Amino acid sequence: MAAIYKVSYVVSGGEHPGAILNTDHRPKKGDVVKLGRKPFQVIEVFDLIPPRGEFRYLHATVKPAESKNSS
Amino acid sequence: MGYLELLGSVELFEGASEEELKMLASICRELTYPSGEVITAQGETGDELYIVQVGFVEVIRASASPGVAPRTVVNLGEGQIFGEMALVDHGPRSATIKAASDPTNVLVIHREDFERACEQNHRLGYIVMRNIAADLSFKLRHRNLTGR
Repeated sequence: MAAIYKVSYVVSGGEHPGAILNTDHRPKKGDVVKLGRKPFQVIEVFDLIPPRGEFRYLHATVKPAESKNSS
Repeated sequence: MGYLELLGSVELFEGASEEELKMLASICRELTYPSGEVITAQGETGDELYIVQVGFVEVIRASASPGVAPRTVVNLGEGQIFGEMALVDHGPRSATIKAASDPTNVLVIHREDFERACEQNHRLGYIVMRNIAADLSFKLRHRNLTGR
């Protein structure tokens, strides 16, 4: 069975409390993820604790994603 | 995704056999909430464990200081559990949980069904309790990283 990635997303700066969720792929630097209602860009990913069974435990630092409309 | 496959992808049940997953599926019920609706309220008594199936929930803590507004401490997405503290220690709900997406689907397990399942199958009881402990540990690590 494919790995399941349990990710602790921490937002750099700002007041957003971050999120914990499962994904079916390992997030990587530059990815844009939606945490609740807002999009964020991944700036750092590392393994938080050793894997257990099918689960991989990751930490990702993210920042608010820049709007495509901003100049 | 089928119901069994879904339960198999939830960390709470990591290590459970297919037969055990079928038994757990039989004690789960599915509920849907609109965005903004309160699912559990801080301070209330709680008899149920929840698993986020689709969407996000907000975990909101009221401040002990008067005049300080409640704040969201984390968002929980697919596969995450909440309500486990009250289930294990029988204490009041430690936070308010609010649906944060449309729709927000959760699976619910009642304490009596949960405890009966663990008592009837000690292996499963060990697996689920170990996974609850691991989940609480992960949440603490997330909180520690948030505060760095």
